[in-house]
Amino acid sequence: MSRGELKKANLTVGGMTCASCVVHVEEALKGVSGVSQATVNLATSRAAVEYDPAQTSLAEMKKAVGEIGYEVVLDSAQLQVTGMTCAACVEKIEHGVGDLPGVAKVVVNLAAGSARVEYDSSLTSLAEIKKTIRELGYEAEEMAEGQAALDREREARQREIRRQRNNMLLAWPIGFLVMVGTFQPYWFFPSIVPAWMNNKVFLFLLTTPIVFGPGRQFFINSWNGLKRGLTDMNLLYATGIGAAYLIAVINTFWPEAGFGGREATFYEAAALLTAFIILGRYLEAITRGRTSEAIRRLMKLQPRRARVLRQGQELDIPAEEVQVDDLVLIRPGEAIPVDGMVLEGYSAVDQSMVTGESIPVEKKAGDEVIGGTLNKTGAFKFRATRVGRETMLAQIIKLVEEAQTTKAPIQALADKVAGHFILGVHTLALLVFLFWFFLGYGAWFSPESRLILTPYLLTGMGVFGFSLLVSMTVLIISCPCAVGLATPSAVMAGTGKGAEYGILFKGADVLEGTARLQTIIFDKTGTLTRGEPSVTDVVAASLLGETEVLQMAAVVEKNSEHPLGEAIVKGARARGLSIADAESFQALPGMGVEARVNGGAVLLGNRKLMSERHVPVDDLLSEAERLEGEGKTVMFVARDGRPAGLIAVADTLRENSGQAVKELKKLGIKVAMLTGDNKRTAEAIARKLGIERVMAEVLPGDKAREVKKLQSEGLKVAMVGDGINDAPALAQADVGIAIGSGSDVAKETGHVILIKDDLLDVVAAIQVGRQTLRLIKQNLGWAFGYNILAIPLGAGLLYPFLAQVVSPELAALLMATSSLSVTLNTLRMSGYVPPIRRTKPPTVMRTAEAPVPARI
Amino acid sequence: MKMSSPGLTSFVIYTSISLVVSGLFLVLTLLREHTWVARVGGAGWVFLLSMIVLMPVVIPWIKKRRG
Repeated sequence: MSRGELKKANLTVGGMTCASCVVHVEEALKGVSGVSQATVNLATSRAAVEYDPAQTSLAEMKKAVGEIGYEVVLDSAQLQVTGMTCAACVEKIEHGVGDLPGVAKVVVNLAAGSARVEYDSSLTSLAEIKKTIRELGYEAEEMAEGQAALDREREARQREIRRQRNNMLLAWPIGFLVMVGTFQPYWFFPSIVPAWMNNKVFLFLLTTPIVFGPGRQFFINSWNGLKRGLTDMNLLYATGIGAAYLIAVINTFWPEAGFGGREATFYEAAALLTAFIILGRYLEAITRGRTSEAIRRLMKLQPRRARVLRQGQELDIPAEEVQVDDLVLIRPGEAIPVDGMVLEGYSAVDQSMVTGESIPVEKKAGDEVIGGTLNKTGAFKFRATRVGRETMLAQIIKLVEEAQTTKAPIQALADKVAGHFILGVHTLALLVFLFWFFLGYGAWFSPESRLILTPYLLTGMGVFGFSLLVSMTVLIISCPCAVGLATPSAVMAGTGKGAEYGILFKGADVLEGTARLQTIIFDKTGTLTRGEPSVTDVVAASLLGETEVLQMAAVVEKNSEHPLGEAIVKGARARGLSIADAESFQALPGMGVEARVNGGAVLLGNRKLMSERHVPVDDLLSEAERLEGEGKTVMFVARDGRPAGLIAVADTLRENSGQAVKELKKLGIKVAMLTGDNKRTAEAIARKLGIERVMAEVLPGDKAREVKKLQSEGLKVAMVGDGINDAPALAQADVGIAIGSGSDVAKETGHVILIKDDLLDVVAAIQVGRQTLRLIKQNLGWAFGYNILAIPLGAGLLYPFLAQVVSPELAALLMATSSLSVTLNTLRMSGYVPPIRRTKPPTVMRTAEAPVPARI
Repeated sequence: MKMSSPGLTSFVIYTSISLVVSGLFLVLTLLREHTWVARVGGAGWVFLLSMIVLMPVVIPWIKKRRG
């Protein structure tokens, strides 16, 4: 078969509980002919698959994953299809829709006039499916109940929670009875528990439904995997539970067989083991879902409906059907369905959910609005500019999702360990068995020995029973779940937290890289500065006052398109000055302009212009030089041949540039500045900000080389920039940080995107990165530490000294606690606020002048 | 099923090795005093664990060799 263009799909996989499952599912997907790459993330329950659609399909991948006991959770839609008349119509729709790349299954019901479609929305949207049906000549509308199933990941999780809860309802009460029955002869139990409860046949009857009911999943899943050469946690559980149960049955019905007799049954071990493992899975299903709350919150922001104006009619349609150039109407309190540009009206919009900024932003005609944000007070009409998967919110979700399916470098070791863990543990269990069988039992066994924390004496235990018990405990106590969950769960929490503050990390490696940064290089223009000149100083000579000088210059420049002229006009307007029209105007290339204002001849320009027109500006020269020393551009103003004053214009610093540099230094990071601007201006800006290292007069093509130079000093370097010319440097840096209002190229190249234009987010990004790395290290420390301590304990290391061994049920409890503790530790991230964001901003409305983030 | 199918080849390999290992275990137990229950039970457990260890090693190895 010919090899076509590769496609990427992000599948949601249900039923995974530990790192072994990850390997299991990855292997199953890679085993499908046509799949070239499969990366599974346990924390997000997502599998990123690259495949050749000419060789395989989504349905085949779903089948392969299903066969090993997991479930590919796809989106499903129930559509009302009208216009079908015969069986041929059914076939036509099934084929037409079935041929779409992301569709796994289509079932059309002619009688009901409906179609049920299972599809992956990362490949094909519902709108595309409906469009295909319409193109085939039918009408398709979403059935009402289909809309309830939007959050597929949540549904899959809830299904798992429900399943394990039902299992627990059976396993725990019966398991408790088995435990009470087993301990009936000990402690104070004989006085309160009737003796018949210790009857072994009674315990057998109680335990069997637990092992073959709730415990059945472990046997089936492990066998399905094993016959394909794949192992997972289920195998550890199955061998542990199976062995405990089998010995108990033998000791019940054939007590003379030499397994320790009737007093050495392990019914409570088999029952409680199952109950504890299910409890662990239940708690994991609950807590693991919470770590992805941030992304779910983003998803929930996507409004479902939109009111559009089409052919003069106001229509209420699903938000996904809004098309580019549609006119959308927004009332107070309504969510904005798609991205667009305001045409009429005025309002304040709460953008905090997308950009993280807490102050509502003023919107008027010409301003951009972001889909998913909330309109506050006024009403307005806007033109849709980006819809569907193109909206900023959809792209943020995609970026965060993609980041969460990547792996951090620190995870490599954990993956290696987790991948071979099950095999290693079984090998160890075999060695432990052989050791205790041939050496340990004879050397150290004492009939007075007991199971830790129980009154259970091992008196009647033979060499086989004892060795088996210890071997079984090793299988149960080991926990690769904790090792596997440690990094991805923290990465997920970190990327989610970043998104909450308008910081998008494009991958787990980026998050880790950000945490390890040592130097940050800022581009000057547009990053540290606003990137547009504005009036900073007005100096008047004796002829006129400052206001008059500025007003006169503004009149001259009123219709100018030169950036300096525009800055003067803007400066005059900002000071509330009225700007009349000049009577005449003439540009003097390389020197300035001359105009007639109120009958007077006005000159505005540089020294050369003044010198050519013999205007004596000597009195202003010292002031001009001082301002130029600060990196400002100075223009002289003269009227009727006499000096009137001078105006200094400069690119001004962004609001938080200074604080950002200061905070970065506090974090121990070296700050440098890179610019194509002249040295004097660059140094003036750097002085103001407290930046010591300045790389000025660097050509755009050389910016990457400057970054490389710093890297060659052994430093981990980040580049912060916004322009197209920054892209090579952003790519070269260990971490490229692109500013939200910057160019699309910069954002595509950057590894981190700051949605807002606030440079303090650079600080916040590092703080989130460092906190995530801290969390990863804690999780890994706990997971490895637990296994390093627990496995020898389970293998009977302390037995020669204390004559006590860990019981299988205690092993199960410890194992469940281990992975749970990793998840709970990760959940601490949900309450984390980057220190730089801990001070509450003032609650005033921000004007629309601050740029609205552009396309991601 | 064809004799040369990877599944069957793998089955023959991992089962044979596991049988040899458990057989060795049995022989070793004969050198000491053990009950037959301990011998057979132990050999069974050794066989089971050997199978579990070998299956994930042998199956992918054979699949890889067969391309």
